[in-house]
Amino acid sequence: MKKLWRCHVCNDVHLGNKGPEVCPTCGARNAFVLSDRAEALEIIGEDHPVIGTPQEVVAAWRQFADQSPTVRLTEKDEEVELLSQGVLENRNTKGQRYCPCRITSGDLRKDLGLICPCNFTRQRTYREIGECWCGLFIKRDGT
Amino acid sequence: MSENRLIWFHGRECPHCRQLRPVVERLEKDNGLTITQLEVWHDEENAELMRSYAQAITPACGGELGVPAFYNEVTGKAICGGRITAEQLLEWAKG
Repeated sequence: MKKLWRCHVCNDVHLGNKGPEVCPTCGARNAFVLSDRAEALEIIGEDHPVIGTPQEVVAAWRQFADQSPTVRLTEKDEEVELLSQGVLENRNTKGQRYCPCRITSGDLRKDLGLICPCNFTRQRTYREIGECWCGLFIKRDGT
Repeated sequence: MSENRLIWFHGRECPHCRQLRPVVERLEKDNGLTITQLEVWHDEENAELMRSYAQAITPACGGELGVPAFYNEVTGKAICGGRITAEQLLEWAKG
C-alpha cells in the first residue's frame, strides 16, 4: 500500500511508495518523513478549494495537457463542455469525477482508475488512434 | 432477464454516443429494427444490466466497460466504441 509522506520543511504532502527526493514546493532535498492520514488531512484542511464547476474542470484538464509533451486537449469545445458536465454529474451522484464514457463497477479501488483524466495511455483507442476513450485527450503530432 | 432485445447502452454526457444517435435512428428506420436505448450513468438499473453482460461487453470495449456499447440479447454479441459504423451495427443487429 502507498504511504503518506510529509516534507518536514514546508509540510508538502505526498502519497506514494516513497517521498520525492526534492520537494516540489520548497526544493528541500531528502526532506520527506513518514506521515499518516490524520496528519495529512489536518495539513490539507477543511477549506481546500474544490473543483466544482465545468470551468474549473476544464482548467484542470488544460493545466494537465499544457504540461504534457505527448497529449493535448481536443479542439472540439462542445465535446469538452459536455464531458466537463458529465464528470461533475458523476461527482455529484457517484462521488468522484468519473469518466462519463466508462462505467463504474461498484468496487471503489477499481473505480478510482476511472477518474478523469484516467490512465488512458493503456487504452486501445490511444494505442490505435491516439485518443483517449472519450476523444478528450489527443496524442500530439510527432510523439 | 433476457428479453431478446437489441440494446444500446449509452451515456448522456458521452460525445460519441451523441454522434451515434442519428446513425442508430437511421438504422432502425431503414431496417425496421428496434434498438432499446438504456442510459447507464443516470439509471443504476440500466448500469446493473450492463454489468450483467460484462463478460461479452468488456472485451468488445478493449478491457473495461464503456459506452457506447451495443448488446444483442439473442446472439450474445457485443460491439463497443466511438467509431462504430452503420455497417457494423447492421451486422451486429442481424447476428
